[in-house]
Amino acid sequence: MIGKLKRFGWLMLASMLALIAIGTIAIRSAGLARTETVFHGMWVNNVATAAIGLGFYLMLAFADYRKYLGLLSIPSYALAVLCLVAVLLFGDTVYGGKRWLWFFQPSEISKLCIIVLLASLYGNSAGRSWRFGFRGFLLAGMLVGLPLLLILAEPDLGTALTLVPAVTLMLLVAGIWRKGLVTIITLAGLMGLMVLGAVYEAERPGVSAERRERILKYVPLKAHQVRRVRVFLFPEEDQQGAGYNLRQAKISIGSGGFSGKGLGKAETNHLKYLPQAISMNDFIFCVWAEETGFVGSVALLTLFGLLLFACCHAAFVTDDMQGRLLAFGVSTLVFAHVYINIAMSIGIVPITGLPLPFISSGRTFLITTMCGLGIVQSVTIHREKEIQ
Amino acid sequence: MSAGDSLLGGLSCWLVPIVFGMGLLHLGVRLREVQVEDSAAYSYASARQSVRRVRLAGLRGRILDRNNRVLADNRMSVSIVCHPVYFQRRTWKETTEGISAAINGCAAVVGKPSPLTAHRIRRHVDQALALPLFVWNDIGPDELARFVEHERDLPGFGLVEVGERVYPCAAAASHLLGYVGREHIASDAGDERFHYSFPELCGRAGVEAYYDSYLRGVPGEKKVLVDARGFAMREWTVIEPQRGPDLKLTIDLFIQRLAERELMGVQGACVVLNPQNGEVLALASAPGFDPNAFVPVLSQKLYDSYAKDPSKPLLNRASGGTYAPGSIFKPVTALAGLAAGYPAGERYCCDGLFEIGDMVLHCSSRWGHGELDMRHALMKSCNPFFCNLAADIGTNALLRAARAFGLGSKTGLDLGTDNAGVVPDADWKQKKYREKWYVADQIQMSIGQGMLLVSPLQMALVAGAIGTGQLVIPHLNSVVESPSRPLPFTESQLSVVRDGMRMVVAGDGAGRGTGWRGGDRVRVAVSGKTGTAEVGSGKTRRKNTWFIAYAPSERPTVAIAMVVENGESGGGTTAPKVRNILAGIFGETEVAR
Repeated sequence: MIGKLKRFGWLMLASMLALIAIGTIAIRSAGLARTETVFHGMWVNNVATAAIGLGFYLMLAFADYRKYLGLLSIPSYALAVLCLVAVLLFGDTVYGGKRWLWFFQPSEISKLCIIVLLASLYGNSAGRSWRFGFRGFLLAGMLVGLPLLLILAEPDLGTALTLVPAVTLMLLVAGIWRKGLVTIITLAGLMGLMVLGAVYEAERPGVSAERRERILKYVPLKAHQVRRVRVFLFPEEDQQGAGYNLRQAKISIGSGGFSGKGLGKAETNHLKYLPQAISMNDFIFCVWAEETGFVGSVALLTLFGLLLFACCHAAFVTDDMQGRLLAFGVSTLVFAHVYINIAMSIGIVPITGLPLPFISSGRTFLITTMCGLGIVQSVTIHREKEIQ
Repeated sequence: MSAGDSLLGGLSCWLVPIVFGMGLLHLGVRLREVQVEDSAAYSYASARQSVRRVRLAGLRGRILDRNNRVLADNRMSVSIVCHPVYFQRRTWKETTEGISAAINGCAAVVGKPSPLTAHRIRRHVDQALALPLFVWNDIGPDELARFVEHERDLPGFGLVEVGERVYPCAAAASHLLGYVGREHIASDAGDERFHYSFPELCGRAGVEAYYDSYLRGVPGEKKVLVDARGFAMREWTVIEPQRGPDLKLTIDLFIQRLAERELMGVQGACVVLNPQNGEVLALASAPGFDPNAFVPVLSQKLYDSYAKDPSKPLLNRASGGTYAPGSIFKPVTALAGLAAGYPAGERYCCDGLFEIGDMVLHCSSRWGHGELDMRHALMKSCNPFFCNLAADIGTNALLRAARAFGLGSKTGLDLGTDNAGVVPDADWKQKKYREKWYVADQIQMSIGQGMLLVSPLQMALVAGAIGTGQLVIPHLNSVVESPSRPLPFTESQLSVVRDGMRMVVAGDGAGRGTGWRGGDRVRVAVSGKTGTAEVGSGKTRRKNTWFIAYAPSERPTVAIAMVVENGESGGGTTAPKVRNILAGIFGETEVAR
């Protein structure tokens, strides 16, 4: 046990706890601004959830991942897929999407399950050289594709968007059908640009309705997604309608200034200009940034940087491919969330419903992320080849 | 795995932290743009959407008489207001209904039915959500007591103090002071400066209107922080409103009251002024009104009753009403004659009437005054004498004299109601009646009849000008110093008319003048002239009776003109009233002088 504590990644734990503390403060601010009193004590719930999450974290950290990974990966994956099917059949519809099953969001859990499954499959491929070829890629494609399609059907584009880079990176690191993969990434990038270009062409001022209709027919996006891309491309238009959220997010962050307005004094939030329904979740960064300013934003980014550094460190020091894939997969997932969430609040990327890890209020996501980091902590602790 | 693959694998491993680092750096750089470089613009946008600027009215300045007695003051009235933020519900309809229900609840407590319609409440929610809704304005002490007692049970309701105008002397000097109304005042800086303003007090008549911009306070500014729906969350005063400066008038409340007492029960007007410097000491018009009735708002019913009243209580007769002067015009005719070379000692034989063409004018003395000179003609107000004089000197000499006294043009009084009256000439008659100017018109004018119209203020100035030899511009603002101009007559010409006017009051030793009552037992020597102007014909025929005077005769400090509608005669009806005013000013003696 003492050996484990010696190898324990303190930085990883400390930065995570610091982020959770920031999240609790931000949730308190966002909650107090709401009319409904039920949200005023939301930060207490967050502390409780974090405590539960910490329990899972320590459990997964001190247990040897190499032992439970093979045991858990396939059943957890199967369970996740079942839940994803169930949510489509029985889920509650909230804000235009079926994401809730009973008390949790299966899509959040499924992301971790997919990463764990891929890590356990491709991290331990001795004697199965076919996995490094096209067939291996095909297998991964099917394993990821099934839950991904289910998630997209909810629809939850944001979750899907964070999963793809995590999986792609894992496959790259694992060396699965590398040349083909690089080609596909390039093509996907090009297609993304084309979609953006097509929406621009269709939505730019002065385009006739028929032409717009004709172009958008070929764009594989739903109407509300097209609207978000439009807001991203033309943020000055329609500031009261579809562009309202982005504008308020930017006003909130921008008016925070260099040193912020002070904790609990985020006016945009308190006066409810910031959309209340998502101020605690997808727009939580705005609350933090308004109250603490650029200083607070940088502090937040630094903490995320330290956390990601610790994860990467774990990936580099371990000799075990499974561990490395896990560390990279989980950290990429966290990074994708952080980047997309903050970037969308300042208009760098189109608005996508996506929480900010450890900061946003959300039980399923917090516990899942802490579990993921717990496994990475386990990789750090159990980095010797043999367990003694 | 080949060597190349493992190199690529190593590369992709290194790629991960590099991508992470660059991503976070990118966010940091962009956040710096938003939070540091563009921060001011976003702060402005934030303030723009959430801060409402409200104009606060400053109190009006007071109006004082020359001895600092308060004629117009401010009082704080209490209003019960409703703060919409306490009643916010999910929908606007529910919010409006909530406010409506709460007001009805409050009405039961206060004991006064709600004066607001559902439509009015809805409009407030639509347009002025950030402001309190004024429910009951200017409530009385009973209602206030009931409200304060139950204030704890009435969340969302509060009291607001509003400055209202009050006239402590009630109807005294009502025409002179005028009254106030409420209206939205456009701010000088344009619409950008304020989102909301309340209707503010503004002068509608009299001094209140003429000196409106002087009396008006300097507006202040309040900022209200509103939430995304527009409800007021917090408010603070940025600029305190300031009270306007006090306006000190030349009016002497004591003399004003004397004049108003004399006019009680009649229709008419009286002007008292200082002919040396143009200070108006009293400007009275009867019947009057109580300007307090116009506060906080003039009811339509009351306004209609004023508008339909045949005695026209809102008309300021003293400076805005015009009358035929009658015989009080004779001193002007006399001066016109002297200026035209008519010898002062020339005697004329009055046989009781004056004929020209088919027109016959009777004298006040049925059988004629016999032979008399100009002084006695003034003293006895002999019509034929002046008709004859006018026939001799012609129209132009008359017009020149009348205009030299400022008749036919505005006096320059600092008040909106400053009627020029009419000094008719050939052009004017041609335009107005499409008729030629006859000699009869000129004869009529010489005795103040016909188309000639003057205001009491003008005639007070004429009386004073004869006494001092200077025509002044009258003023009400004590700070103003008004210029005067000398009359175009010589001292010897003026002294003839002054003698005549002194004899009107004091007699010639042998007999009384027509206006002997005007200076009866007044401590100083009074000079004056009576006038009885006949207006209308047939059944509407009536007499407006005049008396003009100045005193003391040697060096006048008071000039006065009074007209009483439907009187008996100038000497009988009006002169005693003027006498009472003069006695009030100068004191009286026990025995007749």
